[in-house]
Amino acid sequence: MNDYNVYKKMRTVLPLMLLLLLFTIIVAVAVGAVYVPLDRTFRIILDNIGLIDDPALPQEQVSIICRVRLPRVLVSCIAGAALSACGTVMQGLFRNPMADPGILGVSSGAGLGAIIAISLGISARSIYTLPLFAAIGALGTVTLIYMLSLRKGRISPLTLILSGIAVSTFIGAVTQYILIKSNTYEVRNFVFWTMGGLNGMMWEQVRLITLPVLALLAVLMMFSRDLNLLQLGEEEAQSMGLEPSKTRKLLLLITSFITATAISVCGPISFVGLIVPHIMRLIIGPDHRILIPASAIGGAIFLTGCDILGRLPASGEISVGIITSILGAPYFLYLLIRTRRDGEIF
Amino acid sequence: MTSHAAVLLNIDGLNFYIDDVHILKDISLRANRGEFIGLIGPNGAGKTTLLKCINGINKGTGRIELDGIDIKSMSSRQIAAKAAMLHQDTTVTFPFTVMDIVLAGRYHKLGRFRHEGPEDYAAARRCMEYTDTLKLEKRLINTLSGGERQRVLFAKVLAQETDLILLDEPSSSMDIAYEEQLFKYASELSHEGKTVIAAVHDLKTAARYCSRLVMMKEGRIIADGEPEAVITRDNLRLSYGVEALVYRNRITGLIDFHIAEGNSDRRNVKIHVIGGGGSASGVIRQLFERGYSITAGVFSHGDSDLGCADVFGIKTLACRPFSEIDDDVFRENVDMIKAADMTILCDMPFGRQNLRNLEAAEYASRLVIIEDGDPKDRDFTGGAALDVYYGLREKAVVVESARLHEVLP
Repeated sequence: MNDYNVYKKMRTVLPLMLLLLLFTIIVAVAVGAVYVPLDRTFRIILDNIGLIDDPALPQEQVSIICRVRLPRVLVSCIAGAALSACGTVMQGLFRNPMADPGILGVSSGAGLGAIIAISLGISARSIYTLPLFAAIGALGTVTLIYMLSLRKGRISPLTLILSGIAVSTFIGAVTQYILIKSNTYEVRNFVFWTMGGLNGMMWEQVRLITLPVLALLAVLMMFSRDLNLLQLGEEEAQSMGLEPSKTRKLLLLITSFITATAISVCGPISFVGLIVPHIMRLIIGPDHRILIPASAIGGAIFLTGCDILGRLPASGEISVGIITSILGAPYFLYLLIRTRRDGEIF
Repeated sequence: MTSHAAVLLNIDGLNFYIDDVHILKDISLRANRGEFIGLIGPNGAGKTTLLKCINGINKGTGRIELDGIDIKSMSSRQIAAKAAMLHQDTTVTFPFTVMDIVLAGRYHKLGRFRHEGPEDYAAARRCMEYTDTLKLEKRLINTLSGGERQRVLFAKVLAQETDLILLDEPSSSMDIAYEEQLFKYASELSHEGKTVIAAVHDLKTAARYCSRLVMMKEGRIIADGEPEAVITRDNLRLSYGVEALVYRNRITGLIDFHIAEGNSDRRNVKIHVIGGGGSASGVIRQLFERGYSITAGVFSHGDSDLGCADVFGIKTLACRPFSEIDDDVFRENVDMIKAADMTILCDMPFGRQNLRNLEAAEYASRLVIIEDGDPKDRDFTGGAALDVYYGLREKAVVVESARLHEVLP
């Protein structure tokens, strides 16, 4: 019989995606100003994690790969996975394919935190300062929006979206006011951060985000059956034994925290949390048990792939946030047009 | 452990407000195991709201006990183990397979880390077989018809394996054949000891399948009991504001009713009907449907017109069969005719016994005579009746029965 349907699917789809991710990582590590052949890249990685021991590998290539490229690629994988999985969860929570952590003010709040850190001149003091401020700004904003949209212990999605827009706009204005008062160097720093860049990522950043993001993604996956139930409607889900309000609060908190962590190091990268969940939903269906891990891996592949494209131009690197937007916006419009034609989004 | 006390649901003094609007007013209701209770009442009476209170979705004041436990102290998961609900709105836009939907009913039985096991699949298949949806197992829910989707969702409700099943307006998106089927399922389930509470639109179906009806109006329970005791003319007027005729259908043996076309202006118009030998039945029905105040007479006992007048609950005069109308009844008849705004003389046979009905008709302020054929053919008095009849005809409006409505006020 055809039992354990979704689990069977997971056992075939997810390993394939992981293989694709591994390939993407190797390519991403290989390309750049100094090209390292793919096979040698792979050997350097294996050597680095101690699986093989090959003293004949050229030291300057080992150094480029291990000190510069590998941390950068790992950050892009983790951040891509974080943004994409959180987008999936948010869309599931609101039963709205347009929802993403941005509507909760995560990006605007992180922006405010970042500009405060930059303009106070403390961002250069430690590589942790800017991420810390960005994360505080993000979570503070989410909490504010959240509290504004609470009614009798319940969150109304519409109020949440509207107060999200209002608070984000207000915070954006504060950010811009601080920018006006800042000097050119600070403005340049900030703009660079907002473009979403993976430039200059080091092992410190990898360490900073890996554990919280992966641990919380695992927690999100534990709620995939609950998210499935919510797709049938809030009251329907409650009749089946879910506490919609509690679940929504908890998942909102976790997604905000994951997103804040990710963008605190690499800036607000747009569209990853919208496009990847969409593509995944089209390919593998709406079941969150497989959708969340698939979106996470897909997000890692997508963001790393975008970073590869950004590093290709000989004239100089393009921030990955610009690439995701250039690819994402047309795709998004395509989805909208298709939606209008077919009458449904999924 | 499930206790097996007879009372499964006990609601005591439930009040529910949305903002300041008092939606449910002091509801008290007990439901025993094995009952199939139909909640009836007009739209906005609070049927759905009540079901959602029982399901823990709406939180009211007062006490609701499921199996002896106050639902305020229960988690959604605990409530889901006791009560399942088929919701009114059944649109699912996400392409889940039918099997996945039905398995969702098992949610309350599964821990966060446990996958659905063989017993969950077996239960799901059993429920799908029961609702005739097993063949749809691998189809996507958003590609099904409304009726199919509702049966799948009903299978999901059954897969919850609860003692209490709540059905909200189950017929709203079903095709007729399945509506009946769903009531049969529910009835069967109640015979197996489950308790079913259904908000029902169709009173006739409710009366047919439910073991008990609870009638609501404006957030209150106004009647509660066996279908015959609840579906009465007075209750229907009180809750739905309609004039209805309730009777036991002689062919099906079921409670049936007929709703009159409500027109309150006509309730003040009095019409007296003179008939007999079955000639008045159609007229009375037509007048009743249009909402007039009707009196009728004089019929002899055993006349089918008398039975009809009884059914419609109108005031009627009667006399013993095969005997002439006596003075007392005659006078009463004349009083009724005088009090009426219009008197209708039906296309009836004339005999010695009812000759005085024609005499009484002379007192009518406005007389309408229904004449479908030559009156000579129905004269059994040897012309005596015809003399009076032609006298009446002079000052009356004469119509065929098919055109009666044209002369009614």
